[in-house]
Amino acid sequence: MSAVARVAVLHLRTVAPYRAQGLMVFGLIVLVLARTPAGLVPALALLLAPMLAVHPFVIADKAGLDVLHAVLPVPRRAVVLAYYAWALASFLALVTAGAAVAVLLAQLQGQALDPASLATPLTLSWALFGVNIAIQLPLLVRFGYARASVLGTTVPFALVMIAVVRLHLTLGSVQSWLPLFWVLGAVAVAGSAAVAVRLRGLR
Amino acid sequence: MLAFALRGVNSTVSQGFALREVSFELPAGYVMGLIGANGAGKTTTIRSLLGMRGVDSGEIELLGHPVPGPVALRQDVGVVLDRGYLVGDWRLAEVERTLRPFYDRWDAARYRELLDGFGLDPRAKVKDLSRGMAMKLMIAVALSHGARLLVLDEPTSGLDPVARDELVGILGDFLLDEGHSVLFSTHITADLDRIGDYLTLMHGGRVVHTGPKDEVLASYRIVRAGPEELTDLVGIELIGPRRTPAGVAALVRTEEAELLGRAVLVEPPTLEEIAVHIGASPARPGRREVAV
Repeated sequence: MSAVARVAVLHLRTVAPYRAQGLMVFGLIVLVLARTPAGLVPALALLLAPMLAVHPFVIADKAGLDVLHAVLPVPRRAVVLAYYAWALASFLALVTAGAAVAVLLAQLQGQALDPASLATPLTLSWALFGVNIAIQLPLLVRFGYARASVLGTTVPFALVMIAVVRLHLTLGSVQSWLPLFWVLGAVAVAGSAAVAVRLRGLR
Repeated sequence: MLAFALRGVNSTVSQGFALREVSFELPAGYVMGLIGANGAGKTTTIRSLLGMRGVDSGEIELLGHPVPGPVALRQDVGVVLDRGYLVGDWRLAEVERTLRPFYDRWDAARYRELLDGFGLDPRAKVKDLSRGMAMKLMIAVALSHGARLLVLDEPTSGLDPVARDELVGILGDFLLDEGHSVLFSTHITADLDRIGDYLTLMHGGRVVHTGPKDEVLASYRIVRAGPEELTDLVGIELIGPRRTPAGVAALVRTEEAELLGRAVLVEPPTLEEIAVHIGASPARPGRREVAV
């Protein structure tokens, strides 16, 4: 297993004791959007995925895991990249579960929501999530959760919401832009990871 | 071979505090006690040694490699700090599952054996351990990955005498292997009376004295005298003098103590007396109190 994968598993084990809270939020979002399954995946990506992405920072801050990361025989770079690996893996798991629940809910209500029609919400979710963590993670890597929590979580959330409103982004309006959204999310995450690795060196 | 060496290390921590020309070394197979009052620079020195903070200048060598060195070097170093660095909600069995993938020589049987020996329940949560138990857990982790050098920062502060005694015993067992070394920072000097081979005294970010324990002890004398008896001597530095209406007690260098008259009581100091008087002296050099 690579160093990045090992640290990503460490991040998973870091948040694992608090999985009940995550499942509760997941259940709550499903409950609220039960009648509009098409909006479930973007809602999870916008609300829960960023929370999951930053959760290792929250626990690390509380438990002093910076020291653990510094004494483990893994490069500092791997620790930073593992935050991204964890964020992407948790996003993937979340949208997969969300998509499955959305399809199930749609079937139960006799609505048409086949996997192909999920492509648009999935793409939109990816772009929103990508931009969100692209802003959050470097700030948290550089300053830690205690110092950057407000800036690192509210600013990206606000920017994403402003973008959604100002650009009139709806599931219908973005159909022709889907490939661009995939690229936008990927470029944002990759660029952000490169910046975060550099910023980690400044701590 | 050296377990570690610091040579002329300078590191600015804040506007008011920095490590200044810190130099000391430990041959492999020995225990060094790093002694100093709170704020002397012990933790900063340890963090610099472990590559956890950068230095402005100077050289650091750890197990034959310059610091910062190869990542694999951390396989050989066990770190026990005064504050835990594990997730409080992890059970002790989870600690093992979490850390094992990072270490090439992780010995699961040894970890279980150490937990058992320390009376630690693998089902217990980290946050439910007492301070002494948490310290033992950190030592169990360090010993389970085959560390050759143990670095302990204030491991005994806050421990009761029984737990401190146990810790010293554990370190004694670790040192049965000739290649194993220990750096042990503390302000409780009694711990080092039993296991310290070398001592480094720090004060105000500087190394005041370093060397084999017996040599350090032999370098100083405690002098006690009435209020008037230390007033007609020239050029003898009184280190951390403590004045009471009954008289003065101070630390002096052994060679200077020989110059004192018969009216002054000269005694070999304990390690604690050395630490106390050095800790009470001005941090900046040049501000010495000299008997005149």
